[in-house]
Amino acid sequence: MLQLLVAGLTVGSEYGLIALGIHIILRATRVVNFAQGEFTIVGGLVALTCVDVLHLNMWFALAGATLAGFALGLAFEIVVLRPAGRTGEAGVTIATIGAVFVLLYGHALVPGWGSNPQPLPGFGGPATGSVELAGATVQVQSLWVFALLIAALAVLYLFFERTYFGKAIRAAAENPLGARLIGIDVNSTRAVSVALGIALAAYGGTIIGPITLVGGAAGFALTIKGFVAAIVGGLESPIGCVAGGLVVGVLQVFLQSRLPYDIADPIVYSVLLVMLLVRPQGLFGRRDAVRD
Amino acid sequence: MNQISVGQAGFFGIGAYSVGYLTVDRGWSFWVAAPVGIVLATAIGIGLGLIALRFRGHYLAMATLAFGLIAAGVFHAAPFLGHASGITGIAYPQAGPLTISGHAAYWFAWSVAFGAAVLSLNLLRGRTGRAFEAIRNDELAAEAIGIPTRRYKILAFAYSGALAAAGGATFAAFLGLVNPDAVGIALSVDFLLMVVLGGGGLVSGALFGAALIGYLNVVGHQYDNWREVGYGAVVVLCVTFAPGGVLGTLRRFAFAGARSVRSAPRTVVTPRTAPAAVRVRPAEPLAVRGVTKRFGGLVALDDVSFVLRPATLTSLIGPNGAGKTTLFNAICGIGGVTSGRIAVAGVDVTGWQAHRVAALGVGRTFQNARLFAEMTVFENVVAAATDNGRVTFASDLLATPGSRRAEREAAERARAIIARLRLEHLADVFAKDLAFGDRRRVEVARALASDPWLLLVDEPAAGLNQDERERLNDDLLALRDAGTTLLLIEHDMKLVMAISQRVIVMEFGRVIADGDPASVRNDPRVIAAYLGTAT
Repeated sequence: MLQLLVAGLTVGSEYGLIALGIHIILRATRVVNFAQGEFTIVGGLVALTCVDVLHLNMWFALAGATLAGFALGLAFEIVVLRPAGRTGEAGVTIATIGAVFVLLYGHALVPGWGSNPQPLPGFGGPATGSVELAGATVQVQSLWVFALLIAALAVLYLFFERTYFGKAIRAAAENPLGARLIGIDVNSTRAVSVALGIALAAYGGTIIGPITLVGGAAGFALTIKGFVAAIVGGLESPIGCVAGGLVVGVLQVFLQSRLPYDIADPIVYSVLLVMLLVRPQGLFGRRDAVRD
Repeated sequence: MNQISVGQAGFFGIGAYSVGYLTVDRGWSFWVAAPVGIVLATAIGIGLGLIALRFRGHYLAMATLAFGLIAAGVFHAAPFLGHASGITGIAYPQAGPLTISGHAAYWFAWSVAFGAAVLSLNLLRGRTGRAFEAIRNDELAAEAIGIPTRRYKILAFAYSGALAAAGGATFAAFLGLVNPDAVGIALSVDFLLMVVLGGGGLVSGALFGAALIGYLNVVGHQYDNWREVGYGAVVVLCVTFAPGGVLGTLRRFAFAGARSVRSAPRTVVTPRTAPAAVRVRPAEPLAVRGVTKRFGGLVALDDVSFVLRPATLTSLIGPNGAGKTTLFNAICGIGGVTSGRIAVAGVDVTGWQAHRVAALGVGRTFQNARLFAEMTVFENVVAAATDNGRVTFASDLLATPGSRRAEREAAERARAIIARLRLEHLADVFAKDLAFGDRRRVEVARALASDPWLLLVDEPAAGLNQDERERLNDDLLALRDAGTTLLLIEHDMKLVMAISQRVIVMEFGRVIADGDPASVRNDPRVIAAYLGTAT
């Protein structure tokens, strides 16, 4: 039982980070990024390259993947989202689906990445170590995932609440015109928001890498789990997105332990529809956030 | 309607699996199984449409995505659908002695596609298409001219579901098999790709895109990965640089201005007298009784009552925030009321949806002139001249003589109204390109096109110059003399005093004076409301 819970919270951490990235990008640009999961995959693969080719340890690999995610996010905003944004909301959403194709099939063409999932070493030791905790066997890497999730949330909190730039991003997201009028460069706050969202995806893909392998074609499924998480917790609420991720992770693991895989996943997806019908603002959102 | 569905593969799968299951496991004929699949998909499309009514934008896209995923999950999990391996050995359909396989199957698939395209073109060219276009441009304004927007949205889901199911049924018969991977979310993405490449918003574009992707999938077989990367890049480029897709962009270059031909009358139009005068006029076009409207703690309307007499022009004045526009909205069925009753032409319309109130004979203009920006002036007026009360799906789909006649009549009515308001020279201009003053007059024309008894005009003179004001003045008086009852919100006192027979003054949601212009002008409470009291 506890073992399942820990396993659920572990994958849920990844979903939560993906959902949070989707939330940050949506807030800043009004775009739902369908490519979020693909960036998670690419982030994990960058970490793989750091380890395999550059012979760095996992900590540097994590930093490298996150920075690469940030850079990719900047490029994504400037090359894809910004130009496509001039043609309207539906257009940008479709452009992010185009980006899914490029990333999904493109990453398989990169030497050393390929289309099959590959293992990463663990943080602070081998990926397979486990400890006894309250009578259950828990992977050490799961504990690292929780610690790294909390660290990321703390950094984000400080950034958005305490720094000038973080506040500027929030202001620009709230009211772009007003922000412009008081001298905030909305173009750059948008670019940085998207970059942060993508960096989070890459970070999430790396911290869970030792447990789930990195690479492969699962990116779109990750995006969808991120959507489910965001809708469960509340698309407009950052805390909700993370909490939603954990809920979805736990739900998924419990369902998979009882039911065949091909039945468990559709049930998780139907949670999306049920939540949209029953409580579209999510567990943590406010009612008026829905009709945008 | 400018909304993207990411779940079309679900409907495609319903069509394909219906044919698979019913022909293989039940031994039905393809010709029965396929229609059953299409009907099933239509029904589910209606259900999804009902759900989708509650959402916009992102939430809608996610709801359709969830539908596609759940459908894929059901195909995977349902024991009688063969799990991951799907259903194989689907027989080719028989048409009499002919087995539809090989070349015949190509012809069959093409005729299905062609038939669907013809029907869709009929639909989109006619009243239904114009209603879709109007809703896409401005949902609220569409309701205000009597278009039942909710019904049309559901219709769009149901119809696209049926189309996808027809495609799926053909696909299953053609390949002889169906499995969950073939109808998964990847297929939905492929569909989107086809539409974007070919040209969103164009039937020919969607078909062209489908042919192009289908061809590339076959030809580019050995370039796996590179091919898909190319698709993705082209989608991004397409969205950015050629939002009309391949065909849409070609069409823009090749037939620039082709659209302008449409408003030219084919027959000589005899300007008709105002139709409202001919009809039996209700004795009481509008009765407002004790209407109160609260927004949270704020009382926007406080026990407002009045009755309008037919063929009169009444002005509603009052300081900003007095509740004038809120009252208009309440009458039109936008937003509802907290208590009180509203009757139009003797019919209690309290709590009705806006399009039903409009269909009863209430036209309105908005404070900020909400025209359908991407439609021409003529199309704006035709949209309202159409009998929007009925959704004429079947007759539009088949382009029956009745449907075409109704189209011609609506066009004629629109031309007559445009002529009456002397707007002929603007008929082919897109609404977004109009000058401000013209925009207001076109809005009046659109409101008149549905032939209302009661016309609510919200600040028509704001931002108009002296010439335009005089013309507006004449237009409104001519309307009144033709038998229309007018209720006017206006701040221009000179205009109000010159043309109104009655003036109702509101302040803080309450009626503080009601009478002929002279007595209202001298009412001490009105003077106090406008100038403040000397204390």
